[in-house]
Amino acid sequence: MAGELASPAAPPRIARGSSRRAAALRLLRRRLIQAVPLMLGVVVINFVLIQLAPGSFLELMTAENQVSDPATIELLRKTYGLDDPVWLQLVKYIWALMQFDFGFSYRQNRPVIDAISDHLPATLLLMISSITLALAVGVSAGVVASVKVRTFWDSLVSVAAMFFFAAPGFWLGIMLIVLFSVKLGWLPVGGMMTIGDRSGAAGGVLDILHHLILPTLALGLFYAAIYTRVMRSSMLEVAQLDFVRTARAKGLSRNQVTISHVLRNALLPVVTILGVQMGTVLAGSVVIESVFSWPGVGSLLFDSVSSRNYPVVLGIMVLGSLVVIAANIAVDLVYMWLDPRIEIR
Amino acid sequence: MQRLEFIGRFARNRGALIGAVLILVVALMALLAPLFFPVDPLRIVGQPELWPGEDPDFPLGTDSLGRDMLSMIVHGARATLLIGLFASAVATLIGVSVGATAGYFGGWIDEIAMRAAELFQTIPNLIFVLTIVVILGSTLANIVIAIGIVSWTPIARMTRAEFLALRDREFVQACRAMGMGDFRIIAGEILPNALPPVIVLSSLVVAGAILFESAVSFLGLGDPNVASWGRLVGDGRQLIRSSWYICAIPGVAIMITVLCLNLIGDGLNDALNPKLRDR
Amino acid sequence: MVDRNRVTRRVFGAGVLATGLVGGAASGFAQGTPRRGGTLVATWGGGEPQACYVPAGGGSSPTFSSSKLFERLGNRAMDGQFQGELAESWKPAADFKSYIIKIRKGVKFHDGKDMTVDDVVYSISEIWKKYSAASALTDFTGVEAPDADTVVMTFSKPVPEFFFSSLLCGSVNYIVPKHVYAGSDPVTNPANNAPIATGPWKFKEWVRGSHFEYVKNENYWRKDMPYMDRLIIRYVRDPAGRAAAMEAGDIHIGVFNPVAPPDIKRLTATGKFVATPKGYEESVWSTTLECSMRNPVFAKREVRQAMFHAIDRNFLAKTIYYGYARPGTSPIYSPNKEFYTTDTFSTAFDPKKAAALLDAAGYPKKADGKRFAINLLAAGWFTENGKIGAYVKQALEDVGVAVNLSVPDRPTSIKRIYTDYDFDMAISNQANPSEPVPSTTQYFTTDGIKKGVPFRNANGYSNPEVDALVEKIKVETDPAKRKALVFQFQKIITTEAPLLPILELESITVASTRVQNHSNDPNYLAASWYDIWLAS
Repeated sequence: MAGELASPAAPPRIARGSSRRAAALRLLRRRLIQAVPLMLGVVVINFVLIQLAPGSFLELMTAENQVSDPATIELLRKTYGLDDPVWLQLVKYIWALMQFDFGFSYRQNRPVIDAISDHLPATLLLMISSITLALAVGVSAGVVASVKVRTFWDSLVSVAAMFFFAAPGFWLGIMLIVLFSVKLGWLPVGGMMTIGDRSGAAGGVLDILHHLILPTLALGLFYAAIYTRVMRSSMLEVAQLDFVRTARAKGLSRNQVTISHVLRNALLPVVTILGVQMGTVLAGSVVIESVFSWPGVGSLLFDSVSSRNYPVVLGIMVLGSLVVIAANIAVDLVYMWLDPRIEIR
Repeated sequence: MQRLEFIGRFARNRGALIGAVLILVVALMALLAPLFFPVDPLRIVGQPELWPGEDPDFPLGTDSLGRDMLSMIVHGARATLLIGLFASAVATLIGVSVGATAGYFGGWIDEIAMRAAELFQTIPNLIFVLTIVVILGSTLANIVIAIGIVSWTPIARMTRAEFLALRDREFVQACRAMGMGDFRIIAGEILPNALPPVIVLSSLVVAGAILFESAVSFLGLGDPNVASWGRLVGDGRQLIRSSWYICAIPGVAIMITVLCLNLIGDGLNDALNPKLRDR
Repeated sequence: MVDRNRVTRRVFGAGVLATGLVGGAASGFAQGTPRRGGTLVATWGGGEPQACYVPAGGGSSPTFSSSKLFERLGNRAMDGQFQGELAESWKPAADFKSYIIKIRKGVKFHDGKDMTVDDVVYSISEIWKKYSAASALTDFTGVEAPDADTVVMTFSKPVPEFFFSSLLCGSVNYIVPKHVYAGSDPVTNPANNAPIATGPWKFKEWVRGSHFEYVKNENYWRKDMPYMDRLIIRYVRDPAGRAAAMEAGDIHIGVFNPVAPPDIKRLTATGKFVATPKGYEESVWSTTLECSMRNPVFAKREVRQAMFHAIDRNFLAKTIYYGYARPGTSPIYSPNKEFYTTDTFSTAFDPKKAAALLDAAGYPKKADGKRFAINLLAAGWFTENGKIGAYVKQALEDVGVAVNLSVPDRPTSIKRIYTDYDFDMAISNQANPSEPVPSTTQYFTTDGIKKGVPFRNANGYSNPEVDALVEKIKVETDPAKRKALVFQFQKIITTEAPLLPILELESITVASTRVQNHSNDPNYLAASWYDIWLAS
């Protein structure tokens, strides 16, 4: 873990406000341009992967509809554009993507983007709440451990972090269900809303939050463990740096120094990792969704994979990668804001 | 001399030592599994859903079909460790080749290699693994390869960084002056020097691979002929009301193994970077 | 009130029906005056369908969702009597080569248009013939409407009345509106996701990932029906979630095994729920095991019989299905009042006999203790199949057959079993109505070998004797003679053993004690539920 840390130590070079904005814009533009070949690569890789699949959705569809007449099958192939050569299908797909057309799900008889956007909010909610939990717990536990370094509290935090870092999320989720739902009966076993709940909008929000607790813990605690460890070591490292020593020497209290100088700089590696891990969080939510029957993209992915609904699978991959790219750009911007000394390549 | 010092530093990290010992126990268990439990672990041997301790013949109880949990855990150690090691080997092989080439040659090769790494970091990893396994079939080989494909990027980055730092050192320049070929310099001269931090990372990739495999098996996409721990958790999922131990026990096994591997990784890291040790 | 202490043992039951499973004869029938109004929330033991209505059926899920909206010409009652629904009556001509159907008058589609004989003719010729009943209508020659309330179906061969009546009641042989479907591809018609039909419930909304909302059809042809204002079909992904929702009172009824067996006992023990195996008599599920005739090892029927002798079906029923299953003994299932017989060849559990048969067939154990090796495929669409596969592997290995097990997911299983024929032995499932032609027979006849079409003859079994027998069953119009032929069919198939049901699965409906008039149709999942109501 510790090996992955970027050293936040860089010579202070304070940029003025206007040039900072310009720099941010420059960064944004460069990142967006870099994203284009990246997206193209994502599309090509996944498209090729899906071409490797032995059975097509058409086979499954004709099987389910008991169609065995070769003429009908040929007609369906034409309708769905499957008689084009693979490269042409790919070109057509990319062309459609450029117009934000993610294709059509023949199985559900609706555009792919509609199918995905039905499930996206649930997944985003789970991702955001888990990351928030991870950041809140991770940062505060990391700070506590570093301020009380080599005490009981430090050890406690470290041991807890080690455990949550090693526990598989799906297993943690099941154990939480056993404890809080089956044994104690405090929290629901799964789902996002109580079925048939009609207690109004406010009640609805509370109801969703009630359902959100366990999946958030199952997904978020793993990341909380990572952030705790990163935060702790980066706090300790920053505290050694010259400018902190200077601040101390100037007579600022220890708490003041910790909060205003160390914390801000120590957050940088956490932010970096957050950006790198966005894809992992999304992927992790797939498993957690399956444990908690959370109606997100994960469940859609499962249904789609098991019905060979490849346009939707491809759409989820592409959209998932887009989310990751967007998150990375956001992280770069946050990084700039946190540490004005650094110009990002 | 140096090696002794290294072992000494590693052993000074108590966590790492415990981790190493425990992993050794798990590995021994995996190796000796057929000796202790000569019968196929997937055989039905008793009453279904016996709680741990209920029948002295089955100290960890039986699962929903009446298979011996202890035998499945012990044999599962085998499958789980092997998958982890092989997947990590695949990832290391890809990562080191890509990273070494990129770091040594630089220029457009480096650019392409790093773009490729970025590409594989962009695709949500577990989703990619699941899709590969579903599409190419749930066999052990496919699972290992799929995990390797999504795990090589940090190794490539690390190798590249080491190569960048080492490629202009005197000993490398000397080799070049002697007219040594690129491949020999990469494999024979720089790689041995760049390897230690890569090995640390590989041990962490083993831990990650075990987690990946357990998730794949948990979701029912594992190889049905293998008693992997993740699959045991998945099998027990429907029975959490009556027999939650079926989920709990293999999960603990996964957690301990991953924990130990992480501790070992930390220990190796500390031993390799003495200046960071006191953080 | 419902007698909750009485444990129903069905006539065929092996006595393994768990205690706690209740639902006597009284459970489905009305008590007191039906209460009007209110919302009923229902679910089933599976996921959301791909479309609300799939013309070819598309599996149980779309059948469940569409059957509340669409209706059929006929319906079968619990006592086995056929009765008219959108048809008032039907009768065969003297030669049984044509049937005259009288169509019900005054039936309107949900969009206000009258249902006419044109809709019936369209449905039969364009939907039934091409999609929903294609394999049953092989001898069908045409359909026409001589007047405004009569439809005549003609066939090239005599058609037994039981077969014809079963056809009219076929689970997705609906009457669809011609004005909506004519000129379109029925498979992709957008109306499949917002159907217009004649049934007691009108489609209102589909919130994907969550539920269908249906409302009362005010113009329903059964006067003053349905009792309730709204019907919600709610999809919950996992059995534990369904159990929780039922306990909380959020779901009133779940058909087709909505919750896990331990939860059935827990829920019924509270006294607030009943569980009943009634309502599945016309759609009995089984788990089948088959031997591929393409592998020369299985050329001798003694080898195939040995495979079945090696397997303890009682163990499977008890352990994997917690008693909610019974050993299969015949390709016709035991709830089938018309055609089931116990006079069959028995391949009951007897490993010694299995070994002896294999020895005699020329497959003695070799030096490594193995006789031969096979690939066993367990279709992964039910998790139980994987467990059954694990057991069968072990049981066969006990008699010296090496087994490589694979449990692919649903699409791969369909492809490997029914398109690629890539297996030596396969574990699959069937759900069959009482009428054996073609649902049951197409697993055994030569014309049932149709590459790429699932749930047909995948093992390649071809026997002129069976083919000829099935042809006779098809055209025999005398019920007693027909019955004797079907008995003969069962005897041959159980002896030949190319494919046999190893388990008959017990499907369970779990309902709140408030729900009245449920489980009163032999295929309740596919019934229209026009008379259901909720006591306060």
